[in-house]
Amino acid sequence: MARPIKVVMAKLGLDIHWRGVYLVSQFLRDAGMDVVYIGNKFPEQIVEAAMQEDADVVGMSTLGGNHLTLGLKTVDLLGKSDMAGVKVFMGGVIPPKHIPQLLDGGVHKVYGPDTPMETIINGIKDSVSV
Amino acid sequence: MGREESKKDVCLFSREQLDTIKSGYDDWFNNVLKDNDRQDELSGQYTTHSGIPIRMLHTPADIAGIDYSEDLGFPGCAPYVRGVYPNMYRGRPFTLRQLAGLGAPEDCNLRVKYLLGHGATGVNILFDLPTIRGYNSDDPEAEGNVGHCGAAVDSIWDIDAFFKDIDLGAISTSVVTHLPSTSIVIPGMYFAVAEQRGTSRDKIAGTCQNDFIMETCVGSGPEILPPPVSFRLQCDVVEYVCENYPRFNPISYNGYNLREAGTDAVQEVAIAISNAIATAEELIRRGMDVDQFAPRMSFFWDLHNDFFEEIAKCRASRKVWYKIVHDRFGAKNPKSALMRFHVQTAGVTLPATEPLNNVARSAIQGLAAVFGGCQSLHIDSYDEAYSAPTEEAALVSLRTQQIIQSETGVINTVDPLAGSYYVEYLTEQMINRIFDYIKQIEELGGLVKAVEDGWLHREIANYNLKYQKKIETGEMKIVGVNYFRSEDSSTQEIEVFEYPETYTRQKAKLDRLRKERSQQKVNECLKVLRDKCHTDENLYPFTMEAVKNLVTLGEIEELFRDEFGLWTFPLIS
Repeated sequence: MARPIKVVMAKLGLDIHWRGVYLVSQFLRDAGMDVVYIGNKFPEQIVEAAMQEDADVVGMSTLGGNHLTLGLKTVDLLGKSDMAGVKVFMGGVIPPKHIPQLLDGGVHKVYGPDTPMETIINGIKDSVSV
Repeated sequence: MGREESKKDVCLFSREQLDTIKSGYDDWFNNVLKDNDRQDELSGQYTTHSGIPIRMLHTPADIAGIDYSEDLGFPGCAPYVRGVYPNMYRGRPFTLRQLAGLGAPEDCNLRVKYLLGHGATGVNILFDLPTIRGYNSDDPEAEGNVGHCGAAVDSIWDIDAFFKDIDLGAISTSVVTHLPSTSIVIPGMYFAVAEQRGTSRDKIAGTCQNDFIMETCVGSGPEILPPPVSFRLQCDVVEYVCENYPRFNPISYNGYNLREAGTDAVQEVAIAISNAIATAEELIRRGMDVDQFAPRMSFFWDLHNDFFEEIAKCRASRKVWYKIVHDRFGAKNPKSALMRFHVQTAGVTLPATEPLNNVARSAIQGLAAVFGGCQSLHIDSYDEAYSAPTEEAALVSLRTQQIIQSETGVINTVDPLAGSYYVEYLTEQMINRIFDYIKQIEELGGLVKAVEDGWLHREIANYNLKYQKKIETGEMKIVGVNYFRSEDSSTQEIEVFEYPETYTRQKAKLDRLRKERSQQKVNECLKVLRDKCHTDENLYPFTMEAVKNLVTLGEIEELFRDEFGLWTFPLIS
């Protein structure tokens, strides 16, 4: 039997409101994934947690506008570590015009507000083979 | 649903009338309604957002137990269900208090003047996340957030720039410092600037938020002070400001962000009032009289989509507060028991999909706030799910308020929905449920304890899960999202706010500040503050002295984090 997909979920930096990120964590757990919610963390800490947990997926949530800075920095640091294979997902208040920059920078998928949980669950399942 | 006989069910209606209405209702139910409609009514599926049962038809029988004088009263009179002032909006229309906060303080100064120039009557100043969390703009932890979602404030110079050419004695300013640890610093900067400009203390009007729930339950780190410490600072602010600034509200119990984090209307009010109860008990323990601080306590509600329930919530909250301040704490000054509140419409209800629909949602929520008798209102902008508001979106929000205030006529009579069978029924239900929830919190040992134990975090998480499942299954309909969704709705173009570059400006200002100030004075101020942390003295005079000597926000907050230690958010795993 395949092992469950391992997901590390975090809020980026000083961001506020854990409603969305925690909710997604609960839904992913209900969908059979192994989810660790690490709370508000900076890029270096997220990478460290991803390595420690041997994560398949890193999920980051932001409402505060730090997606292009801290978000991309995290992807960059993951790439430089031996976690280059990890898939990064982002969600939150992200203007659509910034999405191409995030994808070019190595974010696997960006899920904006109103995304059904099913879409996120399937999006992760389709992109990770364990 | 059974129609229970109330012991005193003839207050508003004669026994005879009531009997006629009750038998009329039964007759209507059994003979006029069709079978399907009867089934529908008996299904129990109709409730308000917070779960209060709704009848298909409300009649005088639902409010037969209400004693007008005792339960509603006249506006400006106990128990204040109908409003805190006798003539309400005729005397003073609700303050049009839109948010201003972006980039550097110099950018905000322009937005504040823009809003005041377009008819706003109050200012609501917002700070960026590093400022809210107590980091200077050049702190490595502030990276990526400087000037976003609010203004960067590092020192007293920034507050001065924020209000350049604005008379601080002539406006009322809501200083939106979420956490007590910054509420003990930033309003102090505001007072110090006012003092430097020669504004007398009794002219300084406004509010700060100062709510330990914001630090411990709504915010989630990475570094937060333990609940009892945050609560102590909250009380320090209330005590000091009440004693020194008679027109400034030292606390606004933040039901709003609790609701945004995840509670229903009943929990929102009950938790905020439980915090007020805890504060009152602590201040009385410190030797204050309830009449010294209660008149300066204010509240902040989030008005969601369930129109009538939200109106009922506002009306109910006033009575619950009156009962607590008057009956429980024995206030003598009638002003003590007036619950005054600011309303912001519900950001969490504004989807990214078809954003212009949000103008309608916000207008309806704003109207509910006015029917509910708010003192001050902010209407959210339609681009909420994309970015901080653009100038255009901010103006639409302000104009929406002005349309409600000037064109609809709803402010010409006080509490116009009073006497509606449904509204009065809901108001009474809300009152009972708020009291029950407050009691539950008290049985857990009070709010500070309930937070430390993680109880409140679990309540929030459970609520969110329930709410989201309703959206996922379509039980909760959101137009344009899971209901009447257009094929191309997700591709709609919207102008988003572009943040001005703030970091370099703030960094340069901080470098200059560090050169120009007396480092010896700074060290002295910090040493005194450090020592006082471990006494039971009020810390406010010492942070005030520090900011006057150009100590930065970040330096004071770092000291708090060092001295008080950090607390781990109980939901993490």
